[in-house]
Amino acid sequence: MRNLRYLFLIIFLGACKPTENIYMYEVNEVEVTQAGIDKSNPKSDLEFISLAYSDLFGKTIPDNTLQSMALAYNALGDKALIADLIIRNMLNSPDADVPTAQEMRADVDGFITAAFKKLYVREPGEYELWYFRSLIESDSEITPEIIYYALLTSDEYRFY
Amino acid sequence: MKRRNFIKKTGVATAAAFAAPYILPSGRLFARTLSRKANHVVFCLFAGGVRNMESVHQNEGNLMPSFFAGANSTNPGLDPLPASPWPVKLRTEGTLFPEMRYKEGPTGHFNGHTVAITGVYTNTGLNLRANPEYPTVFEYYLKHNSPAVTAKNAWWVSNALGPYPALNYSNFPGYGPMYGANHIAPTSLVSLATYPTIGQPKQFQFHEEEKVMEIREFLNKNFNQKLDNASAGNYNTPDDAAEIRAFIKTMFDKGVSGQFLNPLGVPTATANNDIFTILFAEEVIKNFQPELLVVNMTDVDACHQNYTQYCNNLRKADYAVAHLWKTIQETPGMADDTVLIIVPEHGRNLEGNTVTDIYGRFGIDHTGDNTSREIFSLILGPTGVINKNQTVGTAANPVGESIDIVPTIAHILGFDAHMPAGMLPGRVLTEIF
Repeated sequence: MRNLRYLFLIIFLGACKPTENIYMYEVNEVEVTQAGIDKSNPKSDLEFISLAYSDLFGKTIPDNTLQSMALAYNALGDKALIADLIIRNMLNSPDADVPTAQEMRADVDGFITAAFKKLYVREPGEYELWYFRSLIESDSEITPEIIYYALLTSDEYRFY
Repeated sequence: MKRRNFIKKTGVATAAAFAAPYILPSGRLFARTLSRKANHVVFCLFAGGVRNMESVHQNEGNLMPSFFAGANSTNPGLDPLPASPWPVKLRTEGTLFPEMRYKEGPTGHFNGHTVAITGVYTNTGLNLRANPEYPTVFEYYLKHNSPAVTAKNAWWVSNALGPYPALNYSNFPGYGPMYGANHIAPTSLVSLATYPTIGQPKQFQFHEEEKVMEIREFLNKNFNQKLDNASAGNYNTPDDAAEIRAFIKTMFDKGVSGQFLNPLGVPTATANNDIFTILFAEEVIKNFQPELLVVNMTDVDACHQNYTQYCNNLRKADYAVAHLWKTIQETPGMADDTVLIIVPEHGRNLEGNTVTDIYGRFGIDHTGDNTSREIFSLILGPTGVINKNQTVGTAANPVGESIDIVPTIAHILGFDAHMPAGMLPGRVLTEIF
């Protein structure tokens, strides 16, 4: 009985304790996803070649060009190397639709966004935009061809 | 007592550390191969189906004057060729196995190539659309050679596409594309058809290449997928890839400037695909001095419908091999340090088929009769390494099999000591040493 009285006393005192506001200092939660996370299917060799052509020349690859590229693709064992050669060859064409350095530097964000939309079929993330903006603005030797070439030969370009 | 144990254990551990072989980052033990017979092997698949009757037995006269002595064939329909590029008969430069056998499995071209390159007989279930079931000689070499070397040292030069590109690596667990050779089908890769698509690549300056790599690394780090090894083909280091890229560019430049006209000294109108294939194999040799190169020829397979063309192409194959041997001997780093192995993948039937050529001679298929399993092998090499002017085996006592080539290559290059036991059913052709 005596113990029970103590218990009531403790509960009573606890209930009389003044209310405190609890402040939590933290950043808002942001869901972080990896770039291109939804791309999980590798392009076949012919898809890769055809899409690269379409992306760079703005038209469907002609049959004879596709056959020529497929022939070369099959005739070398190192597929990364032959893909690289095909892309370099496309970039060397005067018909390749790559912005000029002047256009790139006049609107860096626009250039990056357009390149990502064309080649990666998505907007660049904030971090990617910051990276490329810093790179282009800090290095006068960066050309649109360098950036296009890197994008076209990256892992993400081989997936859809 | 504890202190004594501690000192004892520490001493043992220290001694073991000094005694144990160095373990490379790849996990491979570093134990330099000391028992090499030579530092380079060129394996020429004298393929397409060559019958011993027309080669070593000279039933049609001597169709292989660069290899063998004997009165030249007087058959009609043979294109004139320059004199043999090599001053002596190749047969005198090495050991001849005139009666080797392709003992088991279908006598198909891809079966024969697979057997020659894996050292394991195939059966009718061979998948033409897949890499071989068992490791190739390239994989054994690139995985087990010590110290480790890169794929720039291992080349598979095929004279056609179809299933042949798949022979540069297998699907065998623990092997595969990471140990695959650099495959090249040169007459497809360096051609008028491919010039517009790979013959004029954009050239970046060195500092531009570095920037590309930096950007690509950034992009790849932000992406969670990678092409699987098989999709990426065989692997080259960035430096090796740059060298090979430059090599391909040079090949196109040479082609455009007319340097490949009259290949190997043969008039262009007379040259066949085999001649051009050997020409490019020689370019690989001159550029890279590979430790292991396999090249094939298959133009004699015209024999199915044109026996005369078979004989004609056999002479061209003979000429091409002599030129290959000459180039090897003129290439610093490979001269007097290379073993050249020549062997057809299989033979042809004893009986002809029903197709006749313009001279009324019947074509010949290869469907697995005893004659189509009869092949020869000539193995050339440096003096003091390979026995010269030696013949091993007779029709009554055949010596050597197709499956013996891979273990023999492994033994010449010395990596057989590091290979797992029981992988190869064949034997080393020790008679050549």
